[in-house]
Amino acid sequence: MQPDLERELIRKCKAGDTRFYEPLVRAYEPAGLRLAVAMMGNDEDAQDALQEAFIKTFDTLHRFDLRRPFGPWFFQILRNQCRDMLRSRKAKFKVEALDEKLEQRPADAERGPERAHQRSAARELLWQALERIGTEHREILVLKELEGFRYHEIAQILEIPEGTVASRLYHARHALRDALVEMNVEYPK
Amino acid sequence: MSRHVSSEDLMRYLDGEMAPEERGLVDAELAASTELQRELAIFRSLKSDFQELSFHPARYRESVWDHVNDRVTRPVGWILVAIGAGAWSSYGAYIFATSSTDPWEKLATGAIAIGILMLLASVIWDRYREWQNDPYRDVQR
Repeated sequence: MQPDLERELIRKCKAGDTRFYEPLVRAYEPAGLRLAVAMMGNDEDAQDALQEAFIKTFDTLHRFDLRRPFGPWFFQILRNQCRDMLRSRKAKFKVEALDEKLEQRPADAERGPERAHQRSAARELLWQALERIGTEHREILVLKELEGFRYHEIAQILEIPEGTVASRLYHARHALRDALVEMNVEYPK
Repeated sequence: MSRHVSSEDLMRYLDGEMAPEERGLVDAELAASTELQRELAIFRSLKSDFQELSFHPARYRESVWDHVNDRVTRPVGWILVAIGAGAWSSYGAYIFATSSTDPWEKLATGAIAIGILMLLASVIWDRYREWQNDPYRDVQR
């Protein structure tokens, strides 16, 4: 979404007009859901977290500084919502049936069924390794690798100094590799 | 890990967060250290596999917008209902109080109305206290 359009929509939402919130919700929903699924581990809890995050975002829009980008601010709220839900008794990171969840990539199919099967198995292992590492590691990996945020944006979302992002990523990647090693997966393959 | 390339530098190099001159220094270190090359290869491989995890929830059918919309517009509805009900009740009470009805009738009707309101308030208060002390209130049924 264009920053100017986004700012205009937020300005109208701040004035209390909920109609202008819909384009924002629809624009951030896919990425938000990806982050929520990766943090919660299942669709149902992810949708609950996403819905609550959008409501909290609307309720706190009056505090939002229009000079700043909306995306990192929203993801910060979503991330906190996921963490709150994981901390409470309402949700627990749990891996669902992976066959339904993992996207079948066209490139895999083009390289033959065996290659596609190998890639699918690798992704399944990686997903299981994600379950083994803590929420703190998982969230920073998701923000970097799945959402492609820059370090300064990750720092804003996680409310940490920018200089800490690289160190946190290093530890998260190490934790992921250790989890894979525990599962008898060798890196690099 | 190389003596001159810290773990943080390696991450910044891997994620393209380094200035070109800094990258040049890391490139030189990489050329001289097989240990560093191996470390980087591991992280590259992890990064690439992780990025392939760009799943989309298969059972995701409908947007959350309808639910969000219900929740963000609901408070407005409640406020309007409360204002309307308050206004009508006050107007009704005023009409009743200023009418030429027998004072005893006014007193009896007023007592009934106040009694109902007090009972309603006490039931709401009890429910609220019960809910606050409920150890299972966060359990999803």
